[in-house]
Amino acid sequence: MRVLLIEDYRPLQNSLAKGLREEGLAVDVTGDGNEGLWYATSNDYDVIILDLMLPGLDGLSLLARLRSQGKQSPVLILTARDSVPDRVKGLNLGADDYLIKPFAFEELLARIRALVRRGYQQKNPCVEIEDLRVDLAGQRVWRDGQEIALTRREYVLLEYLVLRGGQTVSRSDIWEHVYEFESSATSNVVDVYIGYLRKKLDGQGRRPLIHTIRGRGYRLGVET
Amino acid sequence: MRSVEGRVLAGMAGGMATLLVVFGLVVYAVIRSTLIHEFDASLISSVRLLAASAEREDEKIELGVDLGEMPEFQGKGAQAYYELWGGDGRAAARSPSLGTDDLPNLQGPVGEPAVSVFELRPGLPVRAAGLTLRSERTEGREDAAHPVTVVVARDSRLLLRQLRWLRGLLAITTGGAIALSLLAGTLIVRQALRPLKVLAAEIATIREDNLAARIETADMPTEMVPVKRRLNDLLARLEASFKRERRFTGDMAHELRTPLAGMRSCAEVTLARSRSEPEYRSSLADCLEITKTMEALVNTLLRLARTEADSALPRRESIAPADLIDACWRSCCEKAGRRGLTFENAVRADLACASDPEGLRLVFSNLLDNAAEYTDQSGAIWVTGLRRGSVVEVRIANTGCQLSAEQVGQVFDTFWRADASRTETGTHFGLGLPLVRRTLLSLGGTVTVTLEPGGVFVVRLVLPAG
Repeated sequence: MRVLLIEDYRPLQNSLAKGLREEGLAVDVTGDGNEGLWYATSNDYDVIILDLMLPGLDGLSLLARLRSQGKQSPVLILTARDSVPDRVKGLNLGADDYLIKPFAFEELLARIRALVRRGYQQKNPCVEIEDLRVDLAGQRVWRDGQEIALTRREYVLLEYLVLRGGQTVSRSDIWEHVYEFESSATSNVVDVYIGYLRKKLDGQGRRPLIHTIRGRGYRLGVET
Repeated sequence: MRSVEGRVLAGMAGGMATLLVVFGLVVYAVIRSTLIHEFDASLISSVRLLAASAEREDEKIELGVDLGEMPEFQGKGAQAYYELWGGDGRAAARSPSLGTDDLPNLQGPVGEPAVSVFELRPGLPVRAAGLTLRSERTEGREDAAHPVTVVVARDSRLLLRQLRWLRGLLAITTGGAIALSLLAGTLIVRQALRPLKVLAAEIATIREDNLAARIETADMPTEMVPVKRRLNDLLARLEASFKRERRFTGDMAHELRTPLAGMRSCAEVTLARSRSEPEYRSSLADCLEITKTMEALVNTLLRLARTEADSALPRRESIAPADLIDACWRSCCEKAGRRGLTFENAVRADLACASDPEGLRLVFSNLLDNAAEYTDQSGAIWVTGLRRGSVVEVRIANTGCQLSAEQVGQVFDTFWRADASRTETGTHFGLGLPLVRRTLLSLGGTVTVTLEPGGVFVVRLVLPAG
C-alpha cells in the first residue's frame, strides 16, 4: 500500500518512514505543506498521514485544497493539537481519522490498515477466496488450511490483489501502490514477485488462483 | 464568640444591660433620696413645732402643744414618737406612744436638726430628728451648759417597704428591658447581616472551574457594594491568572508532544525487530537528539519561571551596554557571517545603565541571536543607544522582517512562533522574547517592538540609567 507521510519534525518523520517501510508499506515522505499537496494531488495514495503545523502550507489548508480538487485518498491527521474543536475541524474538512501525538506506532499502523481496508470496501480483516485465507490484520496467509510463509514484498503484493477483490490489476497499479518511487527496481519486479507468489500459493498441484490477463495485468480468484 | 452576629449581639447586650442597670440605679437613688428627704422634712417640721412650744417654768420644762391636736403621738396604733430631754439630761416629757421606751438624746448644734436611723424596738425601724434648743430663758443659769433637746421619731416601715417595692420594680423593669432589647437587637442584627450571609453563600458557589462567575446579588447595603466590587475584581484577576496558567500548561504539553512522539516512535520502530549495531546506534543518536531538544525546552522554561519568581534581580551595578552588546554579538558572529549579515554597534562607550549584568546579558544575547536568525540574507543589524533623563534607551534594529503588524503584536506571547511548524523545534521554542520581557521587568526596564517602513524590525529597550 502506498502511503504519503507529511511531517516536518525530522526525527519523527525518519522513524515513522522507517517503521512503515519495514511493515511493507511504500512510503513517500515530505516535510513541507506545499510539497505535500503536490504529492497528494499527483498520486493516488492509499493513505495520507498529515501533520497540521507545517511550514509552507498548514495541514488543514492542505486538506481543504486536496478535497476541493476531488482527491479521495483517506487522510489520517497526526498532530499535537488535542482539543475537541481542532479534531472536529479536521474531520469536518475531510479527514478520515485523527491521532494525537505521542502515539503507539502499532496503533498508527492499525489505523492505516483500517483506512486502507475501508478505501477498498473491505471491512472484514479476514478474506477468503476459495481455499485461500488472508488475515489482513495479522498479515498471515493460509491455503487449504496450511499456513504459507511469505516475504514482506510477496505479502504486500498479495494483499493488494486481495483488496482489489477479483478485479484485474494492471502492472502500473501494482507498481504505484506497492513499490516506492525511489526504488531502483523496474516494473519487471512485479512479474518476478508474481512468479514467487504463484510458486508459494499455487504450487504442489493446487488449483491456480493468480491469473495473468494478457495485456491487462493480473487477477486473483478462481478462473471462470 | 467568633461570629460577627455573636459579637454584635454580645456587645449590644452588654452595653444595654450596663446602661439600663446604671439608669435603674440612678432612678432608685433619686427616688429614695426624695422619699427620705420628704420623710425627714416632715420629721424636722414636727420637731421644730414641738421645740417651738417648749416652755420652762422654774425648774420644769413643758411642751406647750395640745396633744389632742396631734393624734399621731397617741394611742396604740401611733406611728410617731417624741421625747423632750431637759438640761439635766433627764427626759422631761415624752409621747404616750413611746410607752416605756426612750428616744435617744439627739444633740447637735443649736437650732440645727440632727437625724438618726435606728430600731426603737426589735422590728420597729424608725427615723428620728433631734433639735437642740438654747432658750433665752436658760441664759445665765447653771444648767445653761445642758441644752434642752426635742427628739421626734417616726415609724419608717412604710418608707422601707416603698423603697423595697421600688427596687423590685426597677429590677424587673431593667431585666425586661434588657431581654427586650436583646431580642430586638438579635432581629435587627440578623436582618442587617443577611446580605453578608447571601454574599457568603454566593461566594461559596464559585469554584476554580467556574471563575467566570461574578457576584450578582442586587440590593446590597451601600457599605457592602465596594466589597462586592473588589471581590469581582479579584475574581476577574483570578480567572485571567488561571486562564494564563491553563494556556501555558497546554502550550507546554503541546510543545513536548511532538518530540515525545518522535522519541516513542523511534524506540518502538527500533525495538520492533532485531537490528545491527549501527542501526541501534543511529536510533539511540536520534533519541539523544530529541532528548537534547526537550532538555533545552525545559531549561528555557525553568529560566522563565525563575525570572518570574525573582521579582527583582539582586545585583544593580553600572554597566556599559556597548561592551555587553559587543560581548553578546561574538556568539552570533559565525551565524551572521554565514548569512552575510552586517552588524554595527553605535552605542556610545560612556553610556551606562544600572542593571544586573547576568540579566542584561540574557536580554542582549536573546535579542541579537533573534536578529542574526531572522534578518534577511545579507541584511543589516544595528544597535543605537542614548540617555533620556533618568533612563537609557537602546534600539536593536534589523532589516528583512517578514512579520505582519498583527504578528508583531504577538511576539511576546509564550510559545508563539511566526511559523507554527515544528521545523525549528530544538532551536526556537517561542520563549526567547517572553523571557526578555520578564527579565527586563525584573530589572525595572521595559521592552517594546515596532515594525518600521521597509520591513525594519525594531526592539526598543528602556533601562534605568547608571
